[in-house]
Amino acid sequence: MYIRIERGVSTPISRQIAEQIRAQCLAGLLEAGQCLPSVRQLAKELVVNVNTVVRVYERLAAEGLVEMRHGEGTFVLQPSAAKDLAAGLKQQREQFSRDFQAVVRRGLLLGLNVPELRRMLTATASDAKSQISKENRSEKSS
Amino acid sequence: MSEPAISVDQLSKSFGPQQVLQDVTLTIPAGQTFALLGRNGAGKTTTIRIMLGLIPEDSGTVRLAGIDPTKEPLKARSQVGYLGEDQTMYGWMTAIELCRFLAPFYRTWDMAWARDCLARFDIPLHTRIGRLSKGQSVKLGLVVALAHRPPIVILDDPSMGLDPIARKEFNRDLVEHLQSSGCTVLYSSHLLDEVEAVADAVAILDRGRIVRTGTTDLLREEVKQILLPFDSVAGTPHPEGLLDVQRHEDRLVFITDRAGSYVEQLAAEGVDHDVVDLSLDEIFEAFVIGRTQDWPDKPANPVATTI
Repeated sequence: MYIRIERGVSTPISRQIAEQIRAQCLAGLLEAGQCLPSVRQLAKELVVNVNTVVRVYERLAAEGLVEMRHGEGTFVLQPSAAKDLAAGLKQQREQFSRDFQAVVRRGLLLGLNVPELRRMLTATASDAKSQISKENRSEKSS
Repeated sequence: MSEPAISVDQLSKSFGPQQVLQDVTLTIPAGQTFALLGRNGAGKTTTIRIMLGLIPEDSGTVRLAGIDPTKEPLKARSQVGYLGEDQTMYGWMTAIELCRFLAPFYRTWDMAWARDCLARFDIPLHTRIGRLSKGQSVKLGLVVALAHRPPIVILDDPSMGLDPIARKEFNRDLVEHLQSSGCTVLYSSHLLDEVEAVADAVAILDRGRIVRTGTTDLLREEVKQILLPFDSVAGTPHPEGLLDVQRHEDRLVFITDRAGSYVEQLAAEGVDHDVVDLSLDEIFEAFVIGRTQDWPDKPANPVATTI
């Protein structure tokens, strides 16, 4: 399992590790049934606190991506369709949120002020809504 | 709740007229890896030396595994492995001679384990200590600090003077051999990105006082940078945990502790704001050199006309 940690950045180390393992599970790089390195092993390898790794594994287990079997180790689970979808959706929303932040930042740097941005958002949202409902209607009628 | 491995209560110390520690209070639960952060001269070494009973405190108490090191220094020292900032070891001895020399001082000295560590750390057994590299001698210091298998380990700036590779190796040993075996570790440092990866919790010591303690995750969650348009500052309250204030063009850029409730307040009042996550480095900087006097109490200040 390849994990790279950037130190001295504002993303907490636990989040960095969790995101990389999650991505590898969802991409199928880590296959169902595969055993992840032990907590101690990964902590030693990455030179991070043992408890950080425990927390990451627990979080991934709560998300249904891995299973911690007592005394045996941590195993990658078969992503069930629903879980897969939910995780995929969550990830896409996170990506969207980052994109959105970047767009807003660019707008501010281009000299647009917040009320102007808000007006643009309202206008765009109502346009998009009517467009989406039109698409839905035409889908149903066809 | 079990007794904390290390507890320091209201410790104060002056050297002559200069107060170096003021009401230092720390509680470190068993099994935790705890980092004491501070600039040079903040009082890290003095705190550690008092904890070990090497110098007397003016007031306050220290308990190591429940033992008072000033009353029962030997008993306390049997519970603690200590690696000093500038550990001087007998340069004319070899590593193995040093181990044989120290062994009788400790009832619990584990010579087999010490030899095992020396081998694992690649420390030459029969070279005089004076001829070892800096990295090797720090590791030797660690071996002799650990060879009596203490439940508490106190390390004063262990990675000082080590190159980046040796530091990483050292931290790896710390994770592998101390954390994994349930030792309580207190160490001082000013290398924040390394501390962040290794420590459970930190305390920031500034000019003899603890200005903040908490887990690294908690610090990141609670200390944030906030950007506000300068015009909207007038109606906003002064943040309680304000640490640093700067003005950049028409924006006020500040760092505050307990940011969560403040951000909620801003949102409730409909004030536009940006919240920026900080690295541990930036958080530390805000605590020790942050300046808060520039908070615009009177926003109608004519300075605004200079833009």
